[in-house]
Order: sequence, then structure tokens, then C-alpha cells
Amino acid sequence: MEPTVTVRGLTKRFGRTTVLDGLSLELGRGVTGLLGPNGAGKTTLLRTLATTLAPDAGEVRALGLDPSDHVQRTEIRRRLGYLPQNPGHYPHFTAFELVEYVAILKEHADRRERHREVRRVLEETGLTEQSRTRVRKLSGGMRQRLALAQALLGDPGLLVLDEPTVGLDPEQRMRFRALVSRLGESRTVLLSTHQTEDVAALCERVIVMKDGGIVFDGTPGGLAATAAGQVWLSHRPPAASRLFWRAADGRYRTLGARPQDAVPAEPGVEDGYLLLLGESAEVAA
Amino acid sequence: MKSQWHLPGELIHRYATGLLDPVQVMSVETHLSRCAVCRKAVPYDKEWLATGWERIEDLVDRPAPRPVARLLHRAGVPEHLATFLAATPTPARGWLVAVGAVLAFAVTAAHLAGQDPSLAVHAPVPFLTIAPVLPLAGIALAYGPHVDPVHELQAATPMAGSRTLLLRALAVLVPAVVLTSVAAPFLPGPSWLAAAWLLPALALTAGTLALSTRVSPRLAAGGLVTVWLGALAVEGGLAGHVFALFSPAAQALYGIAVPILAAFVHRRRAHLDPGESRWNRL
Repeated sequence: MEPTVTVRGLTKRFGRTTVLDGLSLELGRGVTGLLGPNGAGKTTLLRTLATTLAPDAGEVRALGLDPSDHVQRTEIRRRLGYLPQNPGHYPHFTAFELVEYVAILKEHADRRERHREVRRVLEETGLTEQSRTRVRKLSGGMRQRLALAQALLGDPGLLVLDEPTVGLDPEQRMRFRALVSRLGESRTVLLSTHQTEDVAALCERVIVMKDGGIVFDGTPGGLAATAAGQVWLSHRPPAASRLFWRAADGRYRTLGARPQDAVPAEPGVEDGYLLLLGESAEVAA
Repeated sequence: MKSQWHLPGELIHRYATGLLDPVQVMSVETHLSRCAVCRKAVPYDKEWLATGWERIEDLVDRPAPRPVARLLHRAGVPEHLATFLAATPTPARGWLVAVGAVLAFAVTAAHLAGQDPSLAVHAPVPFLTIAPVLPLAGIALAYGPHVDPVHELQAATPMAGSRTLLLRALAVLVPAVVLTSVAAPFLPGPSWLAAAWLLPALALTAGTLALSTRVSPRLAAGGLVTVWLGALAVEGGLAGHVFALFSPAAQALYGIAVPILAAFVHRRRAHLDPGESRWNRL
């Protein structure tokens, strides 16, 4: 089957900083998680795929179309759902009005059909009761769900979600995971996150980015497996390692070389991610 | 008391298909409210019922159109475009009120200056300086990441770029021209001055859109406002007044420039995607 997204040699610079450095990848149906520290290039990659940012070099194909062509770029936008990192809002709009506004931008011209679609996505994101509430009065989590609601308009074939779980409480995150995993059954979903739990729970594929390139591309299980034999539990803090923290059971979880009196532990996605990023990950840890 | 009589099948059919007159409908519905047997006999179409509920939902949920949207719709603008234009940041932020205030100030200043014989010849200058660039300020504030909080969302939709920018430019230009046309006849001095601003305004607006195919609308508008003010300053310094920029020869030039620039914008409309022009050069 032809991939939904193909990227070859993608390069993007801001001034002297190279944010994407000849990156290549292919995405097919399903949910793919994008992990990486701040500045790794995740948002730049997502913005490029969402056609809001043009690369300096390289080739992009989304939904079989070439975004460098004006007509094809518009066609991609018709079939794209995009949740930016900072979606913004008109504070004086109600939740319904804001989603309806985006529906108009997505060419839903017929009022009745448009309203039906707006009600559908508000229901999907659990915001039906807030449809008449002004956006400025919604909580951060509700605004995030509202931003997700607009991304679902028009049954998009490609969903690009930049940190969609920011601001969501645990119950909302669980509902979000259920929604996205259902969406991923029939379309391509690419989401960036700092939450390794989201990746472990939701994504069948994970891509780890660092310094504008890809340092890991595989399954969450595969990422966890890279930490095999390097995760330890001990009752005392390790003397040498800097990658450790105190777990909920009071023991110290150490990544890397075995500390004295430590026992091996089952590695998780987060362990693999932190070990993969090394120095950058120490900040995250 | 239980009803022993039931609606004839033929009457139920005519009721269900909407063939009864209002008095008969009321009579049938009064009976139906009391008779469960007849209620069960009335056929209903599931699709019709679903559509009915949807209409009710639509009526309940539908937000009241904003005043600007209602006004535009009444003026013949399609409903979805009226809703879209009403959300344009410039009019939404009281820009029209600001335009009205600036024009009122310029006309008042002209009248005050007109009372002094030594200043009378220069009385219309503030108005003629400001009127042509008012739409440019509106366009600069109508589109782009710095002025529109949902720009990033919008940029990934099929309406992004030329369609949004041109529609918003129109939404800014038309009221600016209308307001200026209302204010201009109150200017003291020769009557031709009342229309002298129009072609420069159109030419500068078309020029802003043409430049926006290369740089952001904000930069394009800012650049042309600077050029316009510079030209007025130079002309004022050389000739002692600025009227040469509004002379018939100058008006003819503006008149020629407008369609040429409009054609240029139409040809390069794919590039009216601020921040994205690189897509077109790859």
C-alpha cells in the first residue's frame, strides 16, 4: 500500500540553526508517536506536513500530493486535520462558533451540513454541553479538546497533532487515547508528545527525533527493548550515574551501568527514550 | 372516558402525508392525543423523524449570527462568507470606529485651518494624506500570525492564503471607502478634492496586495505607507503643496496602475500565502 506521507531529505533552517537535517520517513495507516526533547525539530516537521511551513530543501508527499504545487497543497488541506502546538482562539467566540469558523475555512458552505458536522466533533470530544460557552471561559483542558474537535472536522485522512494531550486531566487523556486509537484504525495519525505513557498506550510506531534527525524508528516495545540490561532498581542512590530517580516504591531506578546492590528491572518506553537521548535526556529525567 | 371510535385508515394516510387542512389536522391530533390505538396506526418515517430532530437541534444549537454577519448577509453576501468575514480581526477590533474617528479629525482640522487665510490652501492636506492609506492599515491588521490568534489553524485549511487575504482585504477596503466617501464632501475647498483620494487609495491597496506576493501584508502595507508619506513630504517641500500628487495626470497614472496591479495579483495569487511563498519556489 502506498504510504500516506513520504518525506525525503527534508531540511529546514531558521537563520543559522538547522532544525531539520535531511530527514526522511514514510508514514502509513495507524498512530505514530513523535518523541524528542525541545528543539529536536518535531514541531517544524509537523508544521511542514501540515503545509503551514515550507522546507528549504527536500521532498514531501502527503496523501499522494505534492505541497509545493498550489493546487495540490489546497487539496492536502482539504483532507488534513491539524492541531498546532499553539492553536489560539477568538476569546469572544463560543465553542460552537470557533469550530464552525474552522468548518467554514474547510469549505463546509452548507449551513445545515456544517452545523451537523460541528455538533458531531463537539460530541466526539465531549464538549456538547459547552457548545454555547465562550472560549475564554473554558478551562485549558477544554480548550485543548476544542482544538482537537476542529482537527476532526471533515473526516480527515491525515491527522497531525502537536502535543495534543497537554492540559488534559487523566480521564480526558484516557478518552483522548480511545478516540485517537479508533481514528488510527482507518487513517494516518502523527502526534508529537513529551508523554512516553501516551506513546506506550496508543502508538503502534514511535519515532524519536534529536537535533533535526531521527535516532529511533520502531515499535514502542522495540524502544523499550533498547534499554534491556540497563535498567536497575536499588535501595540506595547510585554513586556514579546521573540518570536515576526515586520511584513510587521508594527504590531508585537507575539507567546505564549497574549500581552496587542493584537488581535488574523490566525496561519501559521511557527508559529506552532516556537512554537513547543521553545528555539531552538528563534534562528530561 | 376511553374513545371507542378510531380514525379511518384513509384519514390516517391523508394526515401522515400532509394532505389535511389545518382544521382537520387539529381534529385528528386531538383524537390522537387520547387514543393509543390510532397513534400506533399512524406510520412514521424514521428518516423523516431523524431530519425533524436534526432541525430542532439545529435551531437550539445554532448561534445567533453576529451583527456584522447579519448585515453582510442582508447585503447579499452568502451566509458562510458573511460568518467568515465577521470574524476578520480588523473589523472585530473596532477598526471601523478608529477609521471614523481619524476621518472626523481630518475633516475638523481642515475646517479649522480653513478659517485662517494663511493656512486655507493647505486645509485638506491632512485628509488627503490619511484617506488613501486607511485601507492599507486595515489590510496589515487583517491577516498574519502577528494579528490573527488562529492564524496557524487557518493556515492549514483550504481557505488559507489568497482566498482569505483577498476576502479580508475586500472586507476592509469597502467600509473604508464608504466611510471616506461619507466624510469627503464635508471637506472645505474645491469639490474635486472630495474624490481625489479614491484612485490613490485603490492603487495603494492593489500595490499592497501585489507586494504581498513577495513579503508579508504587514511589511507590504508598511512599505507603501512610508513611500506615500515620503512622496507627500518631498512634493510638499518642492512645490509648497501636495496637490501635484492628486492632479489629473497623477490620477490617470493611478487609474492605469490599478488594473495592472490587479491583474498581477490575480496571476500571482498562489503566492499570497504569507510565510509560505517558498513552497512555490521549491
